[in-house]
Formats: sequence, C-alpha cells, structure tokens
Amino acid sequence: MGQTLHTLRTAGTVARLEWQLEWRQGHQLAAVGLFAIASVYVAFQASDQHTGAAAWTAMLWLVHLFSGFTAIGRLFDRERSNVRRYLQWSAEPLGLMLGKLFHAVLTTTALTAVVLGAFLLFLGWPQGIESPGKPGLLVLGAWLGGLSMTTTLVFVSAVASQVRNGSGALAAVLGLPLLLPQLILATRLTRGALSDEPWVMLVEYPVFLGALGAGTATIACILFPYIWRA
Amino acid sequence: MNALLLLNSLEGFFFGSGKAHVVTGVALIILAGIAVSLWRMDRRLSQLEKESRSDKS
Amino acid sequence: MKGSWNWFWKGGSVLLLTYVVVRGFCTPLQPGLVSATPSQLSVAPQVVDLVAVGQPFATSEDLPASFDVVLRSGDQLIRTDVVAITPHSVRIQIDVPPTMPSRALDAYLFTPASGTLFLGNACFVEDAAKGDVPPEFSASAPDPQEPDLGFSFPYQPNIMESIRNLLWHVPMWFAMFFIMGLGFVASLAQLRTDSIGWDMRAEAAVKTGLVFGLLGLATGSLWARWTWGAWWVSDPQLNGALVTVLLYSGYLVLRSAMGDDDRVGRLAAVYNVFAFVMLVILLMVLPRYTESLHPGKDGNPGFNSYDLDNSLRAVFYPAVIGWGALCYWMYTLRLRMNRCAHHLLSR
Repeated sequence: MGQTLHTLRTAGTVARLEWQLEWRQGHQLAAVGLFAIASVYVAFQASDQHTGAAAWTAMLWLVHLFSGFTAIGRLFDRERSNVRRYLQWSAEPLGLMLGKLFHAVLTTTALTAVVLGAFLLFLGWPQGIESPGKPGLLVLGAWLGGLSMTTTLVFVSAVASQVRNGSGALAAVLGLPLLLPQLILATRLTRGALSDEPWVMLVEYPVFLGALGAGTATIACILFPYIWRA
Repeated sequence: MNALLLLNSLEGFFFGSGKAHVVTGVALIILAGIAVSLWRMDRRLSQLEKESRSDKS
Repeated sequence: MKGSWNWFWKGGSVLLLTYVVVRGFCTPLQPGLVSATPSQLSVAPQVVDLVAVGQPFATSEDLPASFDVVLRSGDQLIRTDVVAITPHSVRIQIDVPPTMPSRALDAYLFTPASGTLFLGNACFVEDAAKGDVPPEFSASAPDPQEPDLGFSFPYQPNIMESIRNLLWHVPMWFAMFFIMGLGFVASLAQLRTDSIGWDMRAEAAVKTGLVFGLLGLATGSLWARWTWGAWWVSDPQLNGALVTVLLYSGYLVLRSAMGDDDRVGRLAAVYNVFAFVMLVILLMVLPRYTESLHPGKDGNPGFNSYDLDNSLRAVFYPAVIGWGALCYWMYTLRLRMNRCAHHLLSR
C-alpha cells in the first residue's frame, strides 16, 4: 500500500517536472506544433484541395505519426545530464515511467487537436464528402490511434535513450515497425468514419486500439525497470 | 523474360504445365537462401580460425 | 546418450526432408479443368475443347463414349456429345439452345477414372434469349462416380500445381515462429539471470529466424505473383510477415548500435520481449479484423479450414517437423560459433 502510494507520488512529481520543463523550454512544444502545421500545409499545397478519402487518410496519419515521433521520440533524453543522473538514482523506475506516460498522453491529446484542426482548416474534408457521417468516431479514432502509438513510442524512446550516441535515428528504426499494427487499425478506422459504413461495424476498431494502447503501456511498465539503472 | 511474365494463359515459363515451375522457383530460392547463410557462417568461422591461430603464435 | 540423441534428430530431419522433397515432387496432382476454347459461343451447333492439367484424366485407349460432359445454365443442364479425347483435353460437340436461364455456362466432365471435373463460367453465349432450355437440348445428370484417386494432391483452381509450395513456403513461417519463440524464452531468462549465455541464445535465435523469415517473404512474393497477379498485395498475413522481419531487423540494429556496451544483452532482451508480444498480437489478432486472401480466413489465421486432404497432410506435417528441426540445427551451429567467438575475444 505504502509502496503504491510512493510510486504514484513519484509519478505525479515526474509529470509535474515534465510539464514545467515543457513550459520553461517553450521552444520544444512550439517546434512540434510548427512541424505538424508545416507538414499539413505541405500536404495542402501538394493536393490543392482535391484529395480523395484514401489520400486524405494517408496524409493525416503520416503527419500524425511523424509529429508523434518529434514530440515523444526524445522523451527520455532531453533533461540535462545531471538532472538525469539524479532521476536515475533517486526516482523509482515504475513511478518515473508512469509520470512520463501521463505526460506523453497529455502531449498526444494536444497534438491530435493541433493536427486535426490544421487538417480541417487547410484541407477541409476529402473531396466528395461534405461532412463525414461519423465525426465523433473520426476524432475518437485519431485520439486513440495517437495514444496507442504514444505508449509504444515512450517505450522505444526509453530503449533508445540507453544507447550512447545517435538515439534519434535509432528510435525511428525501432519504432516504425512496432507502430504498424496501430497504424493499420487507425487508418482503417479513419476510412470507415469517413465512409457511410454503419457505426456498429466499426465499433471494434476503437476498442481494439484502446486495448492495444493499454497493453503496450503495461508491458512497457513491466519491462522499464530492467532498462533503467541497467 | 517475356515468356516468364506472361499472364492469363497457360503459356509462359511459370504458367506452363499448371504452374509447376513456380514450385521450382520457390525451392531454388529456399536452397539458395540456406546456402548463402551457410556461406556467411563459413566466412565468419574462417575469420575466427585465423584469429585463434594468430593468438597462439 | 546425448550423442545418440543428436544423431537421431539431425539424421531424422534430413530423412524427413528427403521424404518431403521426393513425395512433394513425385505425387501426382488430381486433374482439373482450366479453360474452354472457344469460350464465346453463339446459338448454333459448334465444337468446343475443354483443357485440363494435372494427372492425365484419360489414357489413349479410353473411348469417348465412356466420358460425359454437360453444361449448366442456371439450374438447368444442356446436353453435349463427346467426340474425341486426349489425356489432357476433351472435344465436345454442342448444339447451343436458343433460350437458357443464364448466358454463362458451367462445365461438368464425368470421367470413369478421375471422377467429376468442374469448370465454372466455362463458356458465354452472346445471343441466347432468356428462358427455359427446350427439352430437346436438355440433359439429365449422370450418376456421380467416386473413383479411388490414390495418393494425389487436390486440384484447386488458380493454384494448380503450385499447391506443392505448401511444403516449402509455409514451413518457413512455422520454423521462424518456433525459433523466435525460443529467442523470446531465452530473452525472458536473460532478464531473470542477466547472463551472457542466454543473451547469446537469443541473438542466435533471432538471426536464424530472420533467415527463415526472409525466405518466407521471398517465396511468398514469387507465389503471389502467379496466383494473385502481384508481387505484393495488402493482406493481413503479408503485413504481419513484413512487420516481423522489420521488427527483428530492428533488434539487430539495436545490437550493433550498442557496440560492445556491456548493457547490450539486457537492452536487447527487453526489446525482444516487447517485439515478440507485439508479433503475437499482430499475427494472431489482426487477421481477425480484416479480410485475407490466405486460406484459413474467417478469423482463423491457422490452416484448419484449408482443405488439407489426407494426402497433403501426410507430407505437410513431416515438412513442418523437418524444416523446424533443420532450423534448430542451424540455430545450434550459430550459437556454437558465437560461443567460440566470445571465448576467443575474452581471452
């Protein structure tokens, strides 16, 4: 009981520290937002508002994926090295992981809002679709897809941070194949939400995406103590 | 090459005699793949042998 | 004791694979109809050739009178006369009726030795009117014969002779999964004990498994080109296979990026455990949510619903065991090689 409480307190402290760090170094958050908006704008320029549903979905998830990489990929090695050493020796691994996960979930939520907002602002809905049949499902899918990508990315970022020199490219190499299942489900869900498929046929996608996110988060929490303080 | 790629008829190398040559192709790929992996292990072992010899002397 | 066991399984795998190769190539394929020429008919008497592949369905001594061909339009049968037969084709004389329920005709060939051969949408009649087949053109179905086909592989449209690939391509994936599972167990043990021995086992397992995974991809691609018409199709099994190969390539990249860092074993083990769990999710669960061209669909990634008949089964199971044992053999060789290398370098 006391152990659980201690873990949760650590998690809270880490999440608060992350949050403060994020605002103190505002440029990182701004960089991610800028990256997202700029890539949406590139997509808009290339497609000239005549985009079919398939291309629209592809671009949405490409932007979402790489914005996620930019935001989460370096989650574990952005503290200055003395802060990191302090965390490494003082913080409990599980608490640290939970704190980072919580922070990543918040970041992803914000990121989903930015990406979707920019998409609707610049590109609008795909050609031939005045307004999608299920906008709620579309937003839910984008959010859940983002979340289930994020939990995996947090884990990959933790692994990559342990490797001396060159963790950025390494995170991409390790992360992209691990993210494919989530992306396959998420793109199908988005296509379904844009089409006139009945609601009931698609309900299993968000359920499975959520389960995938929760599952990967659990495995990440179980495995994290082995890589931290290794 | 044209004969290899002929589609929608029973002519062409891989379609002739009811696609039996597809099986030949698949078997050759597998044998070649295993041979390549053996060859690579062989090379690594030769390297190790050389190192162990130079260690002794 | 250990020595004789080694002889047993290594020799056994070679014997099994020899049996599989010989049986796989020598077993005849049951005959099947592949096409009708001409396939466009008009309302008039004309001659059509039905072409078959596989084991000859007729010998040169067989008489046309012992064969029977009827064409089906909708739910009605049309009479034909067999005029000539060769081992791989039958020539029929047909008087196309002016009215029929459907313009697309299916062909049934009744043979004395090979049973009934079927060809869906064999011919198309351009100028027939819709209506019942007049009684003078119609036929009654002959009694179905169920001859003993002996030890032979089943004919499937479009797959044809390439059904023999089942003994080459599919065991690659079984072997890979088996050896990756071994690597997963080794990685779990590595996390518990933190010993170099388990790490070397995991590394050797992943490297051997990757060889088999790459072979599975290459052979699958070749097979897909001549059955589905493309080198690569979007299919849950293919996505899963590609992701598997990418995942384990990531494992090797991680190892080489770590260099001689002494945490490499533990970090690689953590990644391997995560990757394997992801792989199981991907290969077992994802196909249930999407359609597949692969057999055993309808939410079942296995092979239960593939019509593996008894002949195929008698070769397929030995193939899986034989290739699995060969894969394990390659794994032990690599492991012993790595042990020697480690020994040599740490002196």
